[in-house]
Amino acid sequence: MSLTPATMRRLMRELTELRSSPPEGIRVVTNEDNMLDVTGIIEGPEGTPYAGGYFKVRFKFSEEFPAAPPKCWFATKIFHPNVSNAGEICVNTLKKDWKSTYGIGHILVTVKCLLIYPNPESALDEEAGKLLLEDYDSYCSRAKLITSVHATPRTRPPEFEAPASPEASTSSIADAPAISLPPQPITLPVPPSSPRKSTSPSPSQPLQESTSNTLTTSLSSSSVSGKDGKDRVTPLGTADSNVSSTANTSTAAVTAATKAVKRSAAPGTGLEKRKKALKRL
Amino acid sequence: MTDTTINTVKMDVDEAAIDEGLYSRQLYVLGHEAMKKMAASNILIVGLQGLGAEIAKNVCLAGVKSVTLYDPEPVTIQDLSTQYFLRESDIGQSRAEATFPRLAELNVYVPVRVLKGTPGQEISVDLIQGFQAVVLCGASYNKQLEINDWTHANGVHFIATETRGLFGSIFTDFGPKFTCVDPTGEQPLSGIITSVNKDHEGLVTCIDETFHGLEDGNFVTFTEVQGMEELNGCKPRKVTVKGPYTFEIGDTSNLGDYIRGGIFTQVKMPKIIEFKSLRESLASPEFFITDFAKFERPAALHAGFQALSQFKAQFGRLPRPRNPEDAKTVLALAQKIDADADEKTVTELAYQATGDIAPIAAVIGGFVAQEVLKACSAKFHPMVQHLYFDSLESLPSTTPAEQDCQPIGSRYDGQIAVFGKTFQDKVANHRQFLVGAGAIGCEMLKNWSMMGLATGPNGIIHVTDLDTIEKSNLNRQFLFRAKDLGKFKSEVAAAAVAEMNPALKGRIVCKQEPVGQGTESVFNDDFFAGIDGVTNALDNVAARLYMDQRCILYEKPLLESGTMGTKGNMQVVVPHLTESYASSQDPPEKQTLSCTVKNFPNAITHTIEWSRQEFDAMFVKPIESVNQYLSEPNYLENSLKYSGQQHDHVEQIVSYLVTNKPLTFEECIVWARLQFEEKFNNTIRQLLHSLPKDSLTSTGQPFWSGPKRAPDPLVFNSNDSTHLSFIIAAANLHAFNYGLRGETDPIIFKKVADAVIVPEFSPRSGVKIQVNENEPVAQSSADPDDISELVKRLPSPSSLAGYRLTPVEFEKDDDTNHHIDFITAASNLRAMNYTIPIADRHATKQIAGKIIPAIATTTALVVGLVNLELYKIIDGKNTIEEYKNGFINLALPFFGFSEPIAAKKNKYCGIDWTLWDRIEFKNDPTLKEFIAWFKSTHNLDVSMVSQGVSMLWSPFIGKQKSEQRLPMKFSKLVEFVSKKPIPPHTSHLLVEILVSDEEGEDVEVPFILIRI
Repeated sequence: MSLTPATMRRLMRELTELRSSPPEGIRVVTNEDNMLDVTGIIEGPEGTPYAGGYFKVRFKFSEEFPAAPPKCWFATKIFHPNVSNAGEICVNTLKKDWKSTYGIGHILVTVKCLLIYPNPESALDEEAGKLLLEDYDSYCSRAKLITSVHATPRTRPPEFEAPASPEASTSSIADAPAISLPPQPITLPVPPSSPRKSTSPSPSQPLQESTSNTLTTSLSSSSVSGKDGKDRVTPLGTADSNVSSTANTSTAAVTAATKAVKRSAAPGTGLEKRKKALKRL
Repeated sequence: MTDTTINTVKMDVDEAAIDEGLYSRQLYVLGHEAMKKMAASNILIVGLQGLGAEIAKNVCLAGVKSVTLYDPEPVTIQDLSTQYFLRESDIGQSRAEATFPRLAELNVYVPVRVLKGTPGQEISVDLIQGFQAVVLCGASYNKQLEINDWTHANGVHFIATETRGLFGSIFTDFGPKFTCVDPTGEQPLSGIITSVNKDHEGLVTCIDETFHGLEDGNFVTFTEVQGMEELNGCKPRKVTVKGPYTFEIGDTSNLGDYIRGGIFTQVKMPKIIEFKSLRESLASPEFFITDFAKFERPAALHAGFQALSQFKAQFGRLPRPRNPEDAKTVLALAQKIDADADEKTVTELAYQATGDIAPIAAVIGGFVAQEVLKACSAKFHPMVQHLYFDSLESLPSTTPAEQDCQPIGSRYDGQIAVFGKTFQDKVANHRQFLVGAGAIGCEMLKNWSMMGLATGPNGIIHVTDLDTIEKSNLNRQFLFRAKDLGKFKSEVAAAAVAEMNPALKGRIVCKQEPVGQGTESVFNDDFFAGIDGVTNALDNVAARLYMDQRCILYEKPLLESGTMGTKGNMQVVVPHLTESYASSQDPPEKQTLSCTVKNFPNAITHTIEWSRQEFDAMFVKPIESVNQYLSEPNYLENSLKYSGQQHDHVEQIVSYLVTNKPLTFEECIVWARLQFEEKFNNTIRQLLHSLPKDSLTSTGQPFWSGPKRAPDPLVFNSNDSTHLSFIIAAANLHAFNYGLRGETDPIIFKKVADAVIVPEFSPRSGVKIQVNENEPVAQSSADPDDISELVKRLPSPSSLAGYRLTPVEFEKDDDTNHHIDFITAASNLRAMNYTIPIADRHATKQIAGKIIPAIATTTALVVGLVNLELYKIIDGKNTIEEYKNGFINLALPFFGFSEPIAAKKNKYCGIDWTLWDRIEFKNDPTLKEFIAWFKSTHNLDVSMVSQGVSMLWSPFIGKQKSEQRLPMKFSKLVEFVSKKPIPPHTSHLLVEILVSDEEGEDVEVPFILIRI
């Protein structure tokens, strides 16, 4: 299997960017002897039943990439209406809405988005879809349980521990400002007004607003990571504790991270947490 | 979204007579209906030089009732310029008689006859009785008029055509009232609607997933509309498009109130075309434009071709090649017909009047043959009414001198008349690499043998194709006969064209190697140093992309082409001039959402995709897993680590190797019966248990609406043929897996299937949360005890030494292997679950087998166009304006030409570069030297280095690794990182880098070639 030189260069560039300034809660693991063997790790977003979990998403590229989307599936078990038992993901971005300008980062952000806003109407796991439609609490507790059993490691994955590339002394990139991808619109698979009959308090409170299907996201907003995900109470905790740990990365990234922190400075209910989780994507 | 509608075709006796094995690919272009009509048509072809032979070949391959040839004139050496059915030994015999035996062996279903005549005897009205279509090739205008007057009045379809050098002309007259039943050949559109307004201009709104794709003037009807039920099955209503999701269908004010649901389906309306007779049309011609950049030429050629005919009548010969005196006479005659006739065009036509070249015969012959098929079948829109084509830009940049173009009594005289003897020598000493000897490859070699390509002392043709000849190839790969089935394509094709032109004997080197990284020891530096260009004749994108990269590396021109049904395209890639094939790729077909396939199908394409996946999941993947378990040491430990599905996987191996392993065929039937229950009953009931039919969405709408069709479980009935065919196919495939002998007698299947006791279904409940040790477990947290319990049930591989199951290898073209039978039955049963209209075996086979429809006419034409570009490459033209890319659709018909896109210019450090440039390093430098070179030469910082898929060096690898790698030479570094030795034949490495300038800005640089 070979991709065109231009495509390889593009992948190299994107992998570099994802290493030096990954989107929040997302990391990418690559394989030196095969750059096409890419695994993304998505940190379960706070305010969702996936919080505390780390979900591996594997990629497979065909010769037709980027004209055709890569194959992409969960390698970590997850209870989610849009993910099948075999890990297949039902999301438009990976099928009919695919654009050749999309990359690995875009896919991972979209999938992360799907963790925040599952779409029962395109259910691959109809049991999860049913629960989400009828009994949000049960859906939540089942998803939480599966997360805790299958996706929660005893220690935080190392990729989330250290900021990228501290020791590449010979490289020029460590001195370079973080490269930022242009903001890309992400099409959510569902109108985010989710159908919950639940009256329970946060974090399962349904969202009322946001009828738009389109979010604008910047993949470069933070290159931060917490020392220990389990200690966090709110997403704020993470962000706060991380500002100090970004010393090795560029000034630009720090600024971006600080801004992100300020935006979400007020402590919030579950509803707000979810909104923020979405904002920070 | 129902994006493709498959018409369910009822088989009847006539259709059964169509040999689907032979005509398979063409049936997907024309359909049974059109082919039946063709099978009732007798065709007469008059004039059997190259053009007539090309038409006859394509029509014979396509399949008509009969083809009759008329040409009593004796064969001359000049005929051999284009007439590939003639040999030197035929000179002096009647052209029709000499052509007959070689044409007759093309298609056993098409009898070929010769209409007798004596030399000098022209065709006449009394000879053309009893034919449905008459094609005149190279006849005088007087003769054309005489014949057409009669055909126009007597309901016979008429085509007159002629080629002169780089020019071609076609006239069609299918009668005063010709009914075309399918003007586009496209599948009828269909889509789900969400509302219809009750109004004088009723507005229909479709779901916002896909554009409806309709155009003004299209007609539609409806099904499944609730409320406004009058629309269901209504007479076709004319559409006015209002937007991508909306259209109007006229007055709906007196219909019921729309509630929900509904599907629109386009209805193809026949189109009546009123053809003028030739007599009428000559005076007021309607031109079909082939190239909008040559807008003026048709009028000039309309007069020019008539003038040539008059010249010949007057002088008893055609104008001499590049003779100014004769040309002047022709121009005067032309300007008498049309005072404005362009001098340059008419003069060039006169210069080339005796010219006869294979690519033009292929272009015009391919087109005319399709027109003949249109006349017989009423399928696709005919050309109306005059077509004039030229490829003047194929002429050498240095215009050949008059003396250089005179006939020399050679078989190439037709080409020499146009290009001159000097250029003929260039053609003869050209060296090409033809990649593929299938449909395009055969046509290519045919053209090349007529052109005399590579017949000179320095010429050579390399052709490679790993395929052997199959029955469905014979319908258009015309160098192959039934006796060649199973032989290598490249060898048979090479031998066939060497017989057409014996000068090619020993000049064609055949290989059976696929092109790719694995054969770079064969197609190596020396190989590419020995060729002047590459011609692709491939059927897949991956190989095209690979050859594209090779041509960039070795700086060779590439001719690329492809066809799909009546559509074809060709692209010319010239080093340092045009962009390459990979620069602009068509987006691949959009894929279907996995949840649509798994739970919410609404079109037969979705159920076929599901069925194709089930085929793999039942007969391929588990079998391979079992064999891996039996053959690979520590398979379970090693390969299951990353899958996240260990439990399911091991359970499957246990099932196929232990619990469900059949010992008799009867057990296979039982297994198939239980599979039926699982797939078409239990699964559906489980889905309805989770999402009952009255479920509501978040917004309170019925969940099962719009694109989501509520399913119903099927109750097995052995008297239902679809139910039983599933059992038969599944049981036989299961038996195949275990090496058990199959069975096809339905009675046995009925008996066994009916006796199976099916366990009662009880839905799994999703509300209760049960996570115990039986729950599948992922990665590091996997519960080893659970899996080992399962593993204990597996026999040890050593206890079954040598035992293997046989996985099924999907083969669409074998009608006895049950593969397509299974996919058809499973897809249709699922379609019944979801009340989706089912598809027959033939339609299912195309979609499941991803069969690209194909017909000889399109291929012939496209390959003709490719060779018109090859002349330019041989000439060494070096401006982009002289080349053309082309796109055609014979169904509409449509020609589109465009200048190739120039290679994009980039810049680094003040240096211009394109994809054709490279930075070359000799003597295998070390990584350190390499990085230092960029710094010292261009002040660029290298931030990442890769080769192939290996990341050789990046900031992320850390100081220690960096220091280890920097002193390594590239060859060693590549072996070190990829953990694979570099193959011994490797002379160079292709390296990609990321670099940035002083400001840290990314800089794009050319690719890097490192000689080792």
